[in-house]
Amino acid sequence: MTVVVQTEKLSKYYGNVLGLSDVSVSIEPGVVGLLGPNGAGKSTFLKLITGQLKPSLGRILVFGQRVWNNPVIYHQIGYCPEVDTFFEDLTGWQFLTQMLRLHHFSPQAAAKQAEEMLDFLHLSQDKDRLIRSYSRGMRQRLKIAQAIAHDPRLIILDEPLNGLDPLGRRKVIRLIRQMGEAGKTVIVSSHVLPEIEAMTKRIILIHQGKVFAQGNIHYIRELIDTHPHIISIKCDRVRELAAALVKEKEVIKVFFTPDPHEVQLETRQRDVFFERLQQLILDLHLEVEAITSPDDNLQAVFDYLIGER
Amino acid sequence: MTIRKKGYTHWEGELKESFLVWFPLTRLGIKLAFQRRFFRLFFFSSFLPALIFLAGIYISERLEDFRFMLKGSPPFLQITPNFFKIYLSSGLFLVLLVLMMIFVGSGLIADDLRFNALQLYFARPLRKIDYLVGKIATLSFFILLLSLVPGLLFILFKLLFAGNLVFLRTYPWLPLAVIGYSLLLTLFFAGYALALSALSRNSRYVSLMIFGIYIASDIVFGIFYQNFHHPYLALLSIKLNLQQVAAAIFGQKPFYQVPWELSLAILLGLMVGAYFILQRRIRSVEVVK
Repeated sequence: MTVVVQTEKLSKYYGNVLGLSDVSVSIEPGVVGLLGPNGAGKSTFLKLITGQLKPSLGRILVFGQRVWNNPVIYHQIGYCPEVDTFFEDLTGWQFLTQMLRLHHFSPQAAAKQAEEMLDFLHLSQDKDRLIRSYSRGMRQRLKIAQAIAHDPRLIILDEPLNGLDPLGRRKVIRLIRQMGEAGKTVIVSSHVLPEIEAMTKRIILIHQGKVFAQGNIHYIRELIDTHPHIISIKCDRVRELAAALVKEKEVIKVFFTPDPHEVQLETRQRDVFFERLQQLILDLHLEVEAITSPDDNLQAVFDYLIGER
Repeated sequence: MTIRKKGYTHWEGELKESFLVWFPLTRLGIKLAFQRRFFRLFFFSSFLPALIFLAGIYISERLEDFRFMLKGSPPFLQITPNFFKIYLSSGLFLVLLVLMMIFVGSGLIADDLRFNALQLYFARPLRKIDYLVGKIATLSFFILLLSLVPGLLFILFKLLFAGNLVFLRTYPWLPLAVIGYSLLLTLFFAGYALALSALSRNSRYVSLMIFGIYIASDIVFGIFYQNFHHPYLALLSIKLNLQQVAAAIFGQKPFYQVPWELSLAILLGLMVGAYFILQRRIRSVEVVK
């Protein structure tokens, strides 16, 4: 697959303050979640990709071209910053048209495209109102509109779900997935993990200016061998199952939960264990209600990685 | 009723590279200025001096007809280069330009800083120089409308009222002087207003600075001149420096016995200073140190 964003040993220092250190990543088309606690370096990374900051060390290529001081490539990039960036004295339509004009759209084309985008993000009815009268959610949608209106191939959204109501969040999540499916590269930064999980399984985890992990959430979870996998099984005869489980060499620990029909266990060899579990279920004639991995999610990966260091 | 399900659509038009990438910024700046009713009133009022001078040109060509209402010959009825110098460098005209900078220029960069708009601009195919040109062009539009346009129209109307080209044959360099001085005014005031606008996120503070520094420079000159009577103290005043250079460009004797080159050097120095402030302050991301 084509690499859209490639960084090699990318570092950014603000004087003596470390912004980003030795980051080497390759980002391909699709949706990628950029995760990290506040001050981790997410926004610095995004600003380096959008060419707003000059790298202190290393290099960054977008579509194979350097991005710093190369405005031509900016036609291909759509950026939605985290903070509000509006001219409060303009209407939503004027603002969007102005942004499109800066992408060399003719006045007519800018007007047409602005209309379509406002319609798409359900802002048509308010397009002639001054932005200063917009609600938080409307502002957020307008900010997203300006990032995607010129149909860029790389879309960078810094905390795009901030301020949106649940319905608005669902719509934006759907939009982001649609854009990913349409072949665009969408980099979404957020600290709300379930929302990222709803958009993509591909993540880059940044903490203290460094990339802690990148790739598929499940794959990353597999790599964290210092934390055994927790597997939960709900069935009719949990005590019988627990007795059988403690004899298995892949199982480290077995424990009960307040739920009388649930037993949990820890294992370091999840795949091997699952093969063995099938046999156990058949041998014991168990009626299994559910098998889940409570820590095979983004939150667990995040907690393990951040907590480990 | 049909239900329309709308999804993300791709732009299928064709974009053309433009040399005027800064033009949308200029257009927006002019549009925002005219959105304010008070500014519209001020803008149209600021042409009153030009209309009075234009009337002066007409009267100068019809002196016999107007003799009944005139005693002597006021300087503005003698259409010489001095007439142009008076129009383009009078204290009133320069204050009008300062007020224009307050209305149009104070928020040009300060508002972009306040609204964090620079990161949106610089995430687009717009270089810092394009941004600056866009902002300078906004101010130039207004300054040139007050200086260059009336200046050239005065020459044109003088020729039309006289019905011959004698005036232009006598002062063939005058159009160039009008253009040159208007450009100096434009670059100076645009740089002055934009540099101050880049220093604050609050356009009200910028307005105070634009007016305050201009007036303070004159007051400081006045205080020192009262005590020391030294002509070189004129270099302290922005207004007097502009007037000294205007006198030189229009071939008149400067009011203060100071080489006009020194005044020009001071004005150029201020412009260079303004450029460095703009270079330093205009960046998409605030740098934390």
